Amino acid sequence: MSRKNDGVTRRRFIQATAVAAGAAAFPFGSTFAQTASKAKYTRYNVMSANGQKALASYAKGVEAMLKLPPSDPRNWFRNAFIHLLDCPHGNWWFYVWHRGFLGYFEETIRELSGDNSFAIPYWDWTTLPQIPDGMFDGSLNPRSGHFEPYTANLAVFQSFIEPTMQMVFKNLTKAQVAQLNVRGYTSFDLMWNDVTGNGNAGNIGYATTCAARYLTRDNPKLDARTAYDCSPPIVFSGLKPKDYYNADITQSFTSSKTPSHNTQPSGTTEFSILEGLPHNNVHNCIGGVGPLDPGPYGNMTNFLSPFDPIFFLHHANMDRLWDVWTRKQKRRGLPILPPQPDLGTLSKEPFLFYVKSNGDYVGPTVAGEFFSTDRFNYDYEPGSGEGGGVATATLKKALTAVSLKAEVKGHAAALSIPRAAVNEHLASDEPTLIAAVTVARPSPTSNTRAFDVIVGAPANVTAVTPDSPYYGGTIAFFGPTMDHMAMSHDATFAVPLPKRPEAFHNLAATNVSTSIRIVPAHGHGKAPALRAVSVRAVQ
Amino acid sequence: MRAAAALALFSFLAQVPAARTVTLALPHALRAGESATLLVSVGVIPKGARIEVTTPSGHPLGTISPHGIRPGSEAGTYTVPLPSDAIDGRHVCVLLSLAFGDTRRAPSEKEVKGVRVRIS
Repeated sequence: MSRKNDGVTRRRFIQATAVAAGAAAFPFGSTFAQTASKAKYTRYNVMSANGQKALASYAKGVEAMLKLPPSDPRNWFRNAFIHLLDCPHGNWWFYVWHRGFLGYFEETIRELSGDNSFAIPYWDWTTLPQIPDGMFDGSLNPRSGHFEPYTANLAVFQSFIEPTMQMVFKNLTKAQVAQLNVRGYTSFDLMWNDVTGNGNAGNIGYATTCAARYLTRDNPKLDARTAYDCSPPIVFSGLKPKDYYNADITQSFTSSKTPSHNTQPSGTTEFSILEGLPHNNVHNCIGGVGPLDPGPYGNMTNFLSPFDPIFFLHHANMDRLWDVWTRKQKRRGLPILPPQPDLGTLSKEPFLFYVKSNGDYVGPTVAGEFFSTDRFNYDYEPGSGEGGGVATATLKKALTAVSLKAEVKGHAAALSIPRAAVNEHLASDEPTLIAAVTVARPSPTSNTRAFDVIVGAPANVTAVTPDSPYYGGTIAFFGPTMDHMAMSHDATFAVPLPKRPEAFHNLAATNVSTSIRIVPAHGHGKAPALRAVSVRAVQ
Repeated sequence: MRAAAALALFSFLAQVPAARTVTLALPHALRAGESATLLVSVGVIPKGARIEVTTPSGHPLGTISPHGIRPGSEAGTYTVPLPSDAIDGRHVCVLLSLAFGDTRRAPSEKEVKGVRVRIS
């Protein structure tokens, strides 16, 4: 179990000042930081060894939930209907509500998988802009035979679950009905329209088994624009705001303040960076928005998105980023929640649809119960975004100065970097050694536009995947190179070097050696000419 | 007749610009530690349609892909970070394109209702 960053993530922080009046009535106690304690469960990066172990338990749990009768609220599809009926988007309850939804779901998987240490693994799409390979296996793939008995076609699905949902709707409490009215679901039929689309192909929440997910094992990558919206500059910008909520959306970590978490997005809704860009785009890209226009899309595009097991890995990453932001605020002595009276409004919002791991309804809860990860007793293995959004120059000591050029021969560049700089790079939260890689543009007739950067690999390694210790990233050209356009023939890309010791050689020497090569990302085509490589240390 | 209609349609489509160019003035050039953000107000657009925001040279700045919006509802305002190299002194120029299926066109005034820039 990785605890490398304990110095940061476990930093004891006691904010002795300014406990907001009245805030102690809420479980979190204060709008300011509290002393951290060790969590019982850890949500791991899905690509780590512990993450893969969690994924195996997840598959067992999903399979068990699929096999439950629809009358059991823990049934896989029933669980997704909680999202359709109650999920907030475009407002300041987005993170809070999804934390509760994931937390109870996690307890259910723990119960049904038999793995009493289970915690949802997260998909860090900033470092891995493609669906993790294991999510194409068995019950983790909504296009697999595990889903076929329930989602083969709309008639099968409706006969399986619609009668139960009719009963659920009839037995709602008055408070639940009132919330659904706010949502626009004033009748069962109006709610069911968001399952069938009611003639609007793009609005079909249900998807047949064979079309449940657009991305496949052969085509697992997020499209280039979605990958950009998941990239460090965007994520760090999203972590930068100093306020949980600010009426100026550029200063707000969360989206709009609305009267209810069920208030649907409209023209007045303002989306924060993280919800509006990476969150939305990952959902829509996986569902096939773009290639499948005008729909029907896969599950991830609409409110039945939790039909696709990737939903929970995606939202674990969103929840992790909230945790990253919260710890950043704590380090800087900044508030992690809004002041009163906003805190009261935010905290008292009722969440009425969650289900416990034993199949009982949770009953009325309020948002304030889910401000802290303590509610479900978990923490995160560190991932991307750590240290982001802070004035790093004031928090980090100066780096060893590095500005050097590589010796380029053919398709490879050889580098010799001071040991101190490499050690700082490997020990820091974010990469500090950044390579500027200059390559020739592909010829106008070339169909190859994306190239993987291989760092420090033995000569016999000619291809890498993002989980390789030698993977430095994928550089891509957009669109064809037009003969008639006055474009430079070379292009330079900033490529953070991998934070993996395997990518460096002779780590004990005064100067550590490594190399950089460029290869076609999809295994076919020619690599472009490597013009120049330089490396700088940056904060 | 049919050929003439097709030619007319082709001529019309050929004239539809692929993007709307928006040039905005910043209140002042960015100072050390400041950053700029675009605020893009999106009206009613087809389900699945995206608003792609790029620099004039085509470098992506962000893609607005509404999620969880009721059909017929306006999609809301989205925040798009602006890298400092996308800003030229006190001005920033961006291209807005509505992408849907294989087509890309400039969004109408109703589809993208406004674009603002904020410094923080």
